[in-house]
Amino acid sequence: MNEYKILFTGTMGAGKTTAIGSVSEAAPIVTDVANTDLSLGKERTTVGLDFGLLTLASGDRIRLFGTPGQQRFDFLWKILAKSAIGLIILVDNSRSDPLADLVVYLDGFAEDLSVLPCAIGIGRLDTHPVPTLEDYIDILANRNQLVPIMSVDVRRREDVVLLIDTLLAQLEANTFGA
Amino acid sequence: MDNTIRLPENVLAFARLELQKIADELEGIKVVVLATEDGFDIVSAVRDGSDPSRIAAMASSISAISTVVSEEANLGDSKNVIINTVSGFAVMQSIIRNDARLVLNAIANEKAVLAHVIYRTSHFANSLLTL
Ligand SMILES: Nc1nc2c(ncn2[C@@H]2O[C@H](COP(=O)(O)OP(=O)(O)O)[C@@H](O)[C@H]2O)c(=O)[nH]1
Ligand SMILES: [Mg+2]
Repeated sequence: MNEYKILFTGTMGAGKTTAIGSVSEAAPIVTDVANTDLSLGKERTTVGLDFGLLTLASGDRIRLFGTPGQQRFDFLWKILAKSAIGLIILVDNSRSDPLADLVVYLDGFAEDLSVLPCAIGIGRLDTHPVPTLEDYIDILANRNQLVPIMSVDVRRREDVVLLIDTLLAQLEANTFGA
Repeated sequence: MDNTIRLPENVLAFARLELQKIADELEGIKVVVLATEDGFDIVSAVRDGSDPSRIAAMASSISAISTVVSEEANLGDSKNVIINTVSGFAVMQSIIRNDARLVLNAIANEKAVLAHVIYRTSHFANSLLTL
């Protein structure tokens, strides 16, 4: 049996807390507090970390951590990324510039991404079809980053499991990093 | 930053005055920051060039993590968190008002006396609750 740590990141409201809650076996640890930032229309926001646990069919246990989204918490990004075996970046396609959002996390985790596998999940593509997955792939290609990217609804357990499986598959095939 | 927290003017005035006094009167204080629970600085007194906005974010994270620890252990609400180091300490004091959930963070070097700082930060917290 192996134990892995996976880190979820992405903008506030992209669904990190929801994703971890969707797949965690035990009640997840949540550090959300009342949001006071009027520029972000959301009631509660993660200021510490999210934590959940998931046992895969193989018996492997995954420890799932989530970061706060806002850049003012970037000191935690580094701490939480320590000893992670992979990174999942969530993007909310309903925001004003989701492509720029993705770049914030590609840059913020650049060091980690040079040695860790990553999977990117784009949410709300059904209601907000632009930018398209191709637009994201172009951004990644321009940066020479080959990262699997998919449309997800993190409220659905199977979508989150697919993101995790995509990470683990890269680990097995050893096809990641810059 | 456009923030939903609007502390009454008398509370803000008291906080400005009192934080400055804490910074001036207590030896070893580097910075004191009153922040929202989600990590925005509202009032601060800085003596060492610290960035109040970063301190506000860190205080918010530590307070939130302390809250889940105290809940998990059935210890009731967390009142304060102290980080004691070889060259000083940081005290984070929760202040839960009806109109705002706040954290006061005081950071001091080794010249400061922990008990004095805790006394002043708790006293500040109690005053904010009655104003
Ligand atoms: N309609 C819709 N809502 C979503 C989708 N993905 C996530 N959500 C909702 O968006 C919110 C995300 O909040 P949260 O998980 O706290 O985001 P975090 O800031 O990244 O932790 C939750 O209310 C989810 O139910 C999606 O694909 N479609
Ligand atoms: Mg969250």
